[in-house]
Amino acid sequence: MHRRVVVGALVLGVAATIAVASVALTAPEAQPFGPPIGPRMAPDTGAGELLVVVVGGVYPTRAEAEAMNEQMTFGDLQGYYVVPVAQFQGFEQQAGEPGDFALVSVFRTEEGAREFAEMAAGFGHPATILPERVRSLGGLYAGLGQEAHPDGSGPLLGPIEESVP
Amino acid sequence: MDDGAGRTRWRAGRRLLSLTVGAALVVPLLVGWHWQRLGWRDVHYNYPSRPSGYTQIVNRFGQPCSSAARQIPMSWRAADNGVTYSFRFHRKLGGYPTAMVTNKGGTSTNLDNDVYGHIQNDHLQYYIRHGIYGYNCRYIKGTTKWSTHAFGIAIDVSSAEEYEGKCTSTVNRYHKHIWEGHGWYWGLAFCDPMHFQYATGY
Repeated sequence: MHRRVVVGALVLGVAATIAVASVALTAPEAQPFGPPIGPRMAPDTGAGELLVVVVGGVYPTRAEAEAMNEQMTFGDLQGYYVVPVAQFQGFEQQAGEPGDFALVSVFRTEEGAREFAEMAAGFGHPATILPERVRSLGGLYAGLGQEAHPDGSGPLLGPIEESVP
Repeated sequence: MDDGAGRTRWRAGRRLLSLTVGAALVVPLLVGWHWQRLGWRDVHYNYPSRPSGYTQIVNRFGQPCSSAARQIPMSWRAADNGVTYSFRFHRKLGGYPTAMVTNKGGTSTNLDNDVYGHIQNDHLQYYIRHGIYGYNCRYIKGTTKWSTHAFGIAIDVSSAEEYEGKCTSTVNRYHKHIWEGHGWYWGLAFCDPMHFQYATGY
């Protein structure tokens, strides 16, 4: 009797293993084309908007800009972003033409830009607010959305009157 | 010759005696001085419970970058360079009127009265070094996750000395027990010894 129970349990165990293995064999293959397509928020580049730019430096190459950005720490906070200067219309006219890549963080409000510039200065990093707003032509994400909404409700996540041409 | 040496020894002895007497009088005065004499009390009034994880942080403190997150102003002088740093933090973590703090519209006594006062009272201000920051509407480095600074519930102290990535502490360890005793979580656990936050699991 006891032997029958043991044998039965073993048979059941083997059957369960085969069942699981067969299901695993029919699982979908890994997709070679990346993750499935679905709704995903595009990074806010403020394309077409007039933005306030805080500049941490301009460099001839992306590699130099990235190397410098690595050295500029803001504690655990996000600091500057490396972007090509060509993605902002009016940038070169204000910053000169010392290079093609810049360390920037962009804002829709002067208040947001000022707060960031103060923080950068506090950490001992250069921070210049360009005197005139520049027009974003899209391109890489450069920090938009990281400023307070003027109504005090939370972050500012869309255009405001001053940023719309 | 022998007489001269004796006189020198006598003078040195007298100097040592006056130094000892002076120290015996001054040191107790210095050590005995307490912030409490000025009226400070560790009030512990109306602390919010410490949230764990993003959802609880939002439920307890509201959206990042809100006006509540940056409502309470505070100044703190660094002991090493003498610079006074001004920063802001959430209204639920301080700004309530006490003997030492004017009414700033806050709802508790946590940071500006209790933590600050406790550090002063225990003579630990010497270990508050330069680089003191609070609210900042910013993501965590390299991510699009809001930093606890964006909620006004994180303070960086002695940032130059206790820089991010350093997995030991040289100055903040002397007052970390005060922060922890008032509900703050110390960032040394994730190699960020400058960082104190009023939240866990995030």
